Amino acid sequence: MFASFVQGPLVRVIPLGLILLALQRTIFVEMQVGGVIIQIMMAMAAAAGVAGGSERGAIVGFTLGVMFDLAEGTPLGSTATAMTIAGAVGGLLALIAADPHWWLEAIFTALGTAAGVAMIPLVRAFIGESEPFQRQLGVVVAVVAVAAAVMSPLLVPLGRWCLRMRRPEWKQPVGEANS
Amino acid sequence: MAIYSVGRKRVILALLLTTTLLLTLDVRGNPVIDAGREGFAQVMRPVETATGVVTNPIERIWHGITNYDDVKRENLALQEQLDRLIGTRAAAEAAVIEGKELQALYSLPSLSGIDTEVARVVGYSANNLDQVIEIDRGSTSGIEVGMAVVNQAGLVGKVTQVTRSSARVMLVTDGRYKVAVKVTSASVADEAVPTNTSPSGLSPSEVVDGGTTTTSTTMPARPVPIVPGVTLPDGSPVPDTTLPGTALGPDGEPVLDPATGRPLTAEQIAGLEELAAQQSSTTALEADTADPSTVTSSTGPEPTTTTTTTIAEVIDKEYGVLEGRGRLRLPQIGLLQDSPSLSELVAGDLVETAGGSESLAPTGIPVGRVVNRADRPGSRGPLLDVELYADLGRLNFVRVVLYKPLSEVDQ
Repeated sequence: MFASFVQGPLVRVIPLGLILLALQRTIFVEMQVGGVIIQIMMAMAAAAGVAGGSERGAIVGFTLGVMFDLAEGTPLGSTATAMTIAGAVGGLLALIAADPHWWLEAIFTALGTAAGVAMIPLVRAFIGESEPFQRQLGVVVAVVAVAAAVMSPLLVPLGRWCLRMRRPEWKQPVGEANS
Repeated sequence: MAIYSVGRKRVILALLLTTTLLLTLDVRGNPVIDAGREGFAQVMRPVETATGVVTNPIERIWHGITNYDDVKRENLALQEQLDRLIGTRAAAEAAVIEGKELQALYSLPSLSGIDTEVARVVGYSANNLDQVIEIDRGSTSGIEVGMAVVNQAGLVGKVTQVTRSSARVMLVTDGRYKVAVKVTSASVADEAVPTNTSPSGLSPSEVVDGGTTTTSTTMPARPVPIVPGVTLPDGSPVPDTTLPGTALGPDGEPVLDPATGRPLTAEQIAGLEELAAQQSSTTALEADTADPSTVTSSTGPEPTTTTTTTIAEVIDKEYGVLEGRGRLRLPQIGLLQDSPSLSELVAGDLVETAGGSESLAPTGIPVGRVVNRADRPGSRGPLLDVELYADLGRLNFVRVVLYKPLSEVDQ
């Protein structure tokens, strides 16, 4: 069990999550774009999904979400649900292309992040919070998604590192190479 | 390439079910989760401190680029506001001196008898939905869930979560925040203060009038009370302050009622001023003075001290419920019944907490000023947009009002 933990993604995801969480709670609270706080942890979850598929993306999203909820005092599991969805959606979208270009990865990351951000008020409504849907939700989703797309060239490789994955290398089949 | 399969789908479903379970446990209240939060906060603190140090220069550059013009404009506006306040403060202090001599209003509900706890704001909410701040005082300082939080300007929010050494405060702008408020008419004195006045509130042309010398009361300089154990980032001490709504005397401390020893509020002093004005009118009539608000203590060759006091006429217009509406929108007051025959709710009206036996916020905390009125069809009454006195984007120190509603005190 210990060996599987050490060799699994969590050994890298948790320290990275601590750093991202600290960044989220310091610099990203200060550097708002149009009054919207950029969600780097949500973007990281989506980027991990793009890098490693929906399952791994969901695991990374769940881990980051639980850390976020513990630190922020939000209902435990509310942000974790949203980030799990973000990672899963990012991974599902990545199935469209076998070896996506960087700009495709950026689009997938943005869409995964947007799905996660839109999910937060839905979860809050589910647990009985009054009026979680704000009028500026569309603006928030758009800004956060665009920011995630901009950060994806950094976050997707970081996601691969967390998941101990390498970019797929497509080789010519042996038979075709000899002919 | 990632491959989608039933096994992967199961993992995602299991994670979602786990989050649902966690949500259920947390919403119902679980001591294990609470302990987990405290433990995680301890782990995060050094990481966050180190990150803050590293990212501070970047934040400054960002603010330098994005906020320079705003800061410059604000600086000019603040200077103008400061000049105006210096003028009005001396006039208010003179009125307080007169009010201290009258002992007419006893044992009215007020803010001044309530203890407060100064706290430093150590964090803001990192998501776009919640309007929450974190402060560095917790249950060991007597803070409990529900207590109102204020700063120098007015109401800031209420405590929603408390640990031993920290607490979370939901700001007034949060969509879940609601508080009972009363709308009062704008203070006449506030609107009528001339822009160019002497410290006593008189215009320069009135200061010297023939052989009569008009003097203003100059207060002796005293050291400002200091909050023990709290310092600003530059090492300088934090000046102690009173609750908003509590009147300060000439010595910079709350004006105490000689009979009860409890501090008087601005409302009580306004009442005392009214009594003083009545007394002044009588004196003035006896002295054949044309202006009833002018008190002439002596005439002739000796210097005469003249103080002009404008009585603030405050009318309670209506009670309602103030609700936050999110980060970028002004809080709004609803549940109002507009009665034009009695008084009309208009932009510029003042808003303060209403209090009450069930309310967690005591009465009389200044909240803000009405800036917009929206009428609704039918009998639903108008909606009032409120501009808050407190700048919730720049909170450094706040005070937690250690107040329990009367219904809880009785128990």
